[in-house]
Amino acid sequence: MEMMSTNGSTDEGLKSELGRQGIVVSSFNEIYNWGRRNSVWPMQFGLACCAIEMIATTMSRFDLARFGAEVFRPSPRQADLMIVSGTVTKKMAPQVVRLYNQMAEPKYVIAMGACAISGGPFKQGYNVLKGIDRYIPVDVHIPGCPPRPEALIHAFMTLQRQIDAQVLTGVARPRHLNASAPSEFPIPEFGDHDLLPSHNREVWKAPPGRSAGEPSE
Amino acid sequence: MEGTTGSIGRRTFGMTNVQAIREQILAALPKSNIELVENDSPCGQHSLLVEAKDLLGVARFAKSPTGLGFDYCSNVTGVDVVDRIETSRRKEKRIVDGEETEIERVEETRIPGWLEVVYHLYSMRDRKGPLILRARTGDRLEDVALPSLTPVWRSCELQEREVYDLYGVVFTGHPDLRRLLMWDDFKDHPMRKDYVEPDDYDYEPTPHNAVLDRLQARKG
Amino acid sequence: MNGQYSALQFLSVFLVIATLFAIGPLIAAKLWASYFSPQKTGPIKNAAYECGVEATGDAWQQFRSEYYLYAIVFLIFDVETVFLMPFAVAFGKLTIGAFLAIAVFVLLLVEGLVWAWAKGVLEWK
Repeated sequence: MEMMSTNGSTDEGLKSELGRQGIVVSSFNEIYNWGRRNSVWPMQFGLACCAIEMIATTMSRFDLARFGAEVFRPSPRQADLMIVSGTVTKKMAPQVVRLYNQMAEPKYVIAMGACAISGGPFKQGYNVLKGIDRYIPVDVHIPGCPPRPEALIHAFMTLQRQIDAQVLTGVARPRHLNASAPSEFPIPEFGDHDLLPSHNREVWKAPPGRSAGEPSE
Repeated sequence: MEGTTGSIGRRTFGMTNVQAIREQILAALPKSNIELVENDSPCGQHSLLVEAKDLLGVARFAKSPTGLGFDYCSNVTGVDVVDRIETSRRKEKRIVDGEETEIERVEETRIPGWLEVVYHLYSMRDRKGPLILRARTGDRLEDVALPSLTPVWRSCELQEREVYDLYGVVFTGHPDLRRLLMWDDFKDHPMRKDYVEPDDYDYEPTPHNAVLDRLQARKG
Repeated sequence: MNGQYSALQFLSVFLVIATLFAIGPLIAAKLWASYFSPQKTGPIKNAAYECGVEATGDAWQQFRSEYYLYAIVFLIFDVETVFLMPFAVAFGKLTIGAFLAIAVFVLLLVEGLVWAWAKGVLEWK
């Protein structure tokens, strides 16, 4: 029996058998992920109307605290999760990326609402970023305008499942355990006509044949 | 032709009223050049087109309690009117190779467009409005200055900044003429009709496929 | 067994255990962190947190002296409230002397306010 497995490969049958006998067996991996997934603290900031739904989600009716996300931290240093709730204007995008960079690892991003995932109704406008995933890696996208609190809770549970599935070692280990994976992402700068670059090539790739735009350096 | 909206205490101006206001202004400021712009739509909000050099004086008169008493400027907005190309065809006789032939010459003249700023004024004291003032700049590519009305109505400050940001009208006499919505180093004026948006969209089908057409045009 | 243990010896054992109990998890966390999670620092991450905006200038700067005058004027109202509240509660049972005493106190504060007002402290320049 592997008591101290770091890759989560415990024998499920043996585990449930022992569980029936009153013996709880776990792995490092499981305990580590269990602890992280149940204490994901979001960062306290809202960008647009989706933020109202985000606030509603944390209040008593929907009660995001049930999932261990009760504390919205007003500083990125103490936050694990960035909920990009609403329209990211081009003027605001560098600040959002800088806040993400200032968060401590491990850090996750939920892009909430049509605007945050693609620009939404403002996609063809002149001042709206066409999805925050052009600059930072997004873990969960939720469509909706705005998404219902249930949708945000669903996104949160999806994120928890993603955390649960992570393994601590090996090639597929999460970014915060990988020394060579980046923790900071370049902050776009205000150019004469647009943000420069218009997207981060490491993070976002245009669908093949669908984009005329290449990031201008 | 008294235009009423039905709600108590709120009066919009029909044609005669706007005409009366125009004459009132002309009586006070005889040198000013004011034109009545009619609006045929059901709302019937006729407006006064004031020449740029008279705008500040007319605004002061419109605000002053002894004048028209419009103490509140609720809205400032901009309009972009693009250049027009007028073609005229002219037949001309010319001698080519010893023969007299008739050649049609097409002449294109550019009628310069202009930028327009529209002010909606209300009177809190008399419960009436809106009185609509318009002012035009010269050629929209070269002469885009207009006097700022912020010294008259303080509420114009942010809105004139917005018009400056999005249309590029330069308000002379504005206390703090900076961009409002876009960043300071931004070069374009996005609400102008000839604004070219940056090429950062990815193609998605739209009901009219305008994006796809633009994409093709830019690639070709 | 005839060895007698003094209470102090027991206490010292507990002290050691208690110390380990406090420090042990910290050491374990530190070891865990050094083994599993690599340090990831960078210039942006280490920069001062200013709500996402780049910090400019120095935190050590002078404030205008009007702030202190404002603070003092605020204190007048603050102290006044502290005394006015019990005064209002006990108003019906007060003697004439007590009423006069509090009236003099309030008038003194009002005089201070009038003085500050006349000096132009309330005007923000």
